[in-house]
Amino acid sequence: MVEADARILLDWDALEVGETFETYQYLLTQEMMDTYRQGVMDSEASFPTISHKVDVKQYNARYRDAGSVNARCAFHCYNPPMAGKTITVRAWIADKYLRRGKNYIVTEAVSVDEDGRLIDRVITHELKQPTEVGKKWGG
Amino acid sequence: MGRLVRTYEVGDELSPLVKEMTQEAINLFEGSAGQLEPSQFTDEETARETLGTEGTVASGRMSLSFAIELLRRHFGSSVFNHAGTVDLRFLRPVRPGDTVTFTGTVTGVSREVNGSRVSVEIKAENQRGDTTGVGQGSAVVPNAFLPQDE
Repeated sequence: MVEADARILLDWDALEVGETFETYQYLLTQEMMDTYRQGVMDSEASFPTISHKVDVKQYNARYRDAGSVNARCAFHCYNPPMAGKTITVRAWIADKYLRRGKNYIVTEAVSVDEDGRLIDRVITHELKQPTEVGKKWGG
Repeated sequence: MGRLVRTYEVGDELSPLVKEMTQEAINLFEGSAGQLEPSQFTDEETARETLGTEGTVASGRMSLSFAIELLRRHFGSSVFNHAGTVDLRFLRPVRPGDTVTFTGTVTGVSREVNGSRVSVEIKAENQRGDTTGVGQGSAVVPNAFLPQDE
């Protein structure tokens, strides 16, 4: 049996800048760090939190939409996370804008570990009409 | 790791960083966060449905990770991992099989209370010469990591 999708269909016009999401927590494991480092081909990569895409995780848990394409991403490094620590993420809608007839949503998130160490801040601009990008990219 | 003490000047070129993108690397990146569902990054059919592309693309966050590596290598992890930033715009997709070269040029050095802010212009270009991403990065280099005044 297929479960019904209880998420809210995105209404971009109604989406409010400043809307906050449920706090998200996860345990960062050594395996996650090792796999991330293999993926980015950098044995010293220090912020495996990047692949967790935490700024959009809770958005995607609350809303359903046609998908998205990452148009811009900013990352601020404060302290590399440590394996074995639980990471707590606060995320919110930082902005939204219309450019060349396309809708964008800006999400922002701050990660802190269980000892209160500030880990990083990430700000992402997502285009909410992904097929438009596919046309531009020429398949 | 020893403390990297050095000067920074406008016009300094960062050592280029070259990455050869593979589907395996993309899968590892996505899988490292437990994202095992088919996506536009890992599954061609999903990419066709979602993006209208013929094949998968790499997440922009992989390019973000590479840009961070470019700057971390330049500033040293002791500096960049605690006071570094990258802001990258994604202009074209990076696909499996692409070779992407990340370059950087120092565009500004300004004094701050706790050291000097060094700003860098970042560019990513694929093997065809197409620019896949552009942006800025910076790090606040503490005085302890700068040569002492005579």
